[in-house]
Amino acid sequence: MELAPTTPQRSFMRHRAGYFFVLPALVMYAIFFIYPFLSSVYLSMTDWDGVKPMNFVGLSNYQKLLGDPLMWVSLGHNLIWVIIGTIAPIAIGLLLAVLLWGRTRGQLIFRTIYFMPVVMSAVVVGIIWGWIYNPIFGFLNRFLTAVGLEGLARGWLGETNTALFAVLAAAIWQHVGFCVVILFAGLQKVDIELIDAARIDGANSWQRFLNVILPQIRHVLTMVTVFTVIGGFNVFDIVFVLTRGGPANATELIATYTYRKSFSENQVGYGSALSMVMTVLALAATIIFMRIRSRGEELE
Amino acid sequence: MIATKTRSKASDTRYEMGRGASELARYTVLVTWGLVALLPFVLMWSSAFKTSKEIYRDPFALPASLSIDNLVRAWTVGRFGNYLGNSLIITLPTVLGVLVLSCLAGYGIARYDFKGRKAIFLLFLLGIMVPFQSVMIPLYYNLRDYGLLGTYGAMIFPAIGLGLPFGIFLMQAFFRGLPDELADAARVDGCDEFRTFWQVMLPLARPAMSTLFVFQFMWTWNAFLMPLLYMQKEDLRPLPLGLMFFQGRYTSDYGLIAAGVAIATLPVIVVYILFQRQFIRGLTAGALK
Repeated sequence: MELAPTTPQRSFMRHRAGYFFVLPALVMYAIFFIYPFLSSVYLSMTDWDGVKPMNFVGLSNYQKLLGDPLMWVSLGHNLIWVIIGTIAPIAIGLLLAVLLWGRTRGQLIFRTIYFMPVVMSAVVVGIIWGWIYNPIFGFLNRFLTAVGLEGLARGWLGETNTALFAVLAAAIWQHVGFCVVILFAGLQKVDIELIDAARIDGANSWQRFLNVILPQIRHVLTMVTVFTVIGGFNVFDIVFVLTRGGPANATELIATYTYRKSFSENQVGYGSALSMVMTVLALAATIIFMRIRSRGEELE
Repeated sequence: MIATKTRSKASDTRYEMGRGASELARYTVLVTWGLVALLPFVLMWSSAFKTSKEIYRDPFALPASLSIDNLVRAWTVGRFGNYLGNSLIITLPTVLGVLVLSCLAGYGIARYDFKGRKAIFLLFLLGIMVPFQSVMIPLYYNLRDYGLLGTYGAMIFPAIGLGLPFGIFLMQAFFRGLPDELADAARVDGCDEFRTFWQVMLPLARPAMSTLFVFQFMWTWNAFLMPLLYMQKEDLRPLPLGLMFFQGRYTSDYGLIAAGVAIATLPVIVVYILFQRQFIRGLTAGALK
């Protein structure tokens, strides 16, 4: 009987088969990702308007970007979005996951309901929240009136000082279920005996949570955080459906601004430079996350 | 060991005392968020059976009668049948394409040690990190030049290409975990490399494939920016995009819009209920890695 290949020659031949498995995917990926990605980098250094022949302009788009007040306004909104949009759903999600943990009746039903907004398209979420905020018959204003707080009722999406937070609230509402499911999964790995030991040592539930549970789920916690942070830099759909960046740029974010510049105003070169800002932010967030993660592993 | 057990029992009784109250608080919080998550949908669906006047008068009230007027009107006037078909025509080939190519490439990367394997894998990983916006602009002009703009292909092909990084990452992690002995045994039995993959290894990958299936399905079905850019023809619009334009056209016909939302959410809910285990299991497995 002949045995499996052992000589280096045959093993090399066998491993060459790997190319055939990878090739089809690589071709698709090269055409629809690598090539346009490199084109983006190049376009960001041109003055192209989508029609006329393009000129290479070096880094001048990036220079213009630094002096563009709307870019900074958008970036500031993204920053608010990332901070609140990360802390709020993770805090709510963590609370719910911890409460669900252990012997809870209907655990799966709760998780299924919490996750439902996550599977909905941003358009559906946008329309639903557009109704909630509707100034004429909106559920929120009706509710505030019903409980005697009609002074607070307003056109939530139409006023510059509330619009961003109103859109953000819709996004948080949608994202909580995602955090619950992942954090709940992380809790399954927590060592119950350690918690019992802490209880015996007199730690109250807050101390147990802070000193025993939290350190054990920090991997999962950093993972949810990086997902949410990257999502916060890239967010487009829900904002576009609800406000399109308005009123008066109050909800303009890097993604909506990029869309506007490149497709409504046909400043393809400048829009590409903006899209590179998003790319750099997302890459930076990922690299920081991987650093934190590998440091955590070294400590173990 | 025994000592710890008796001690923990003693503390358990003390723990039990405060338990009734804390249990009540626990379920109150859990149910409250359940309502927060669910009520907006319930309001929307119940509004689908109401006239705009009814909605305006009391948005919280249940419908006076179960009139399917709005639903029928939305289906015909709003052309939701058309959008639904478009969504299926776009989503199914995309999911299938991602699944096939990711299984092949994930297997190749996990089970073979060819030159450049690491570099290729890193190249794919790059696609997980960078946002769609980093390719969307040139992609528009590329698709135009390839003659794909104005066809379903304008969404299917890029969606496959952009779905691959996550798919390959997921599949290679799974194939890496399979024992070497299985593939070796198949080879000794005379299977060539492809048959080893197809008949022995691939059937084992079903759990990972079902996870990839549900997530890719959800992402493609709900994709918004991609069809907004590349599927501008009305005949090609998938459900979310169709719904957005529908809402823009009938802004004040609230009952009709609610019916549109109800129609658009129904397929998602059916798929979600059918595959909820895969959704939750997929995320759980990913989180524990």
